[in-house]
Amino acid sequence: MNEPTLRTIIETLKEEQIDLAVTLPEEPTYPLTEALRADPFFQTVTVTGEGHGIALCGGASLGGRRSVFITGIAGLLVGGWALTQMGFYSVPLLIMASYRGDIGDRSGIPGASLFLFNQVGEPLLNALRVPYRVINQNSALKRQIKDAHFSCRSYGTPIVLLLTGEVLW
Amino acid sequence: MKRFDCLKLLASWIDEEVITVTSLSTTAREWSPLWKKGPNFYGLNLGLCLPFAQGLSLAFPRRKVIALDSDGSLLLDTSTLVTVADINPPNLLAIVFDNQRYGAMGPTATSRKADIEKLAQGAGIKVTATLHTVEEFASSVKPALDRSELSFFVAKVEPGREPIENEYMRFDGRPMRDAFVEKLRRYPDYCG
Repeated sequence: MNEPTLRTIIETLKEEQIDLAVTLPEEPTYPLTEALRADPFFQTVTVTGEGHGIALCGGASLGGRRSVFITGIAGLLVGGWALTQMGFYSVPLLIMASYRGDIGDRSGIPGASLFLFNQVGEPLLNALRVPYRVINQNSALKRQIKDAHFSCRSYGTPIVLLLTGEVLW
Repeated sequence: MKRFDCLKLLASWIDEEVITVTSLSTTAREWSPLWKKGPNFYGLNLGLCLPFAQGLSLAFPRRKVIALDSDGSLLLDTSTLVTVADINPPNLLAIVFDNQRYGAMGPTATSRKADIEKLAQGAGIKVTATLHTVEEFASSVKPALDRSELSFFVAKVEPGREPIENEYMRFDGRPMRDAFVEKLRRYPDYCG
């Protein structure tokens, strides 16, 4: 994740008044969570499990605190139950996740493991009826974050932005 | 000690300014008829009750948030204790009702060697206690409601449930959520 991408995300989160970032450190999004941590506008919370991280972020969000959960697609798999429950209870929840295993991922994880994420990630979100968008161009980033944040609050649902392509690598 | 007796006491100590969250266990069934004034989110199970309450504590930093959790649910994701200790929200009070059972389905690990209070201490939570009597419950929980400090209590309760009208079973899912949010919206410090 390069500097202009980081700037775009941080500026957009600020414009949306999202000041709580919940995360579990994950390699491709690590520069983002570190940048958020360094910015006093944000309260950053590092959790020890994606499941309870999603629930924590959901509680804050339903309570009116504008928040974002930052993870990788593996974290969505780990947090599947929490995601199910947040959807069931119509909890507005913005999630930004690295799309490990997407075509072009050269992150160094052995190919078969990466391909697993590609095979099950989007089907899982579909099965859980969680709306998502795949963002692979920086030019789309700002608009997509704003749209996802608006719609998750409007519909009362988790929405996932899967980051890939030039946004991530 | 009966869970219902503890909950009756708790209901007499708090007002509508307090937010509560329960797990799906008997706690939800018994808390439902006792607590109608303030916002309560019922029935977050399989490890989600405590972290959800923690999130609410971050949304309402000047308001007391109480997690009414249970042993079976918390044991599913004890790593949440580490996150709770790490954030250390001073307005969060957690009470884990430990009946050492998965409902009517057999014993949890707390009936053998597992000690939830020690897990919480090991995670780094400073104020903890295991409570065995109603008197102990009163002497620990009531003062904690007035303190601005993260508190974590394990209430050892008998298995079984009070034979009461089960309103909770008719008030689940989206209607419960909407009623909860409606009460939150009345708070002046609601920022949504």
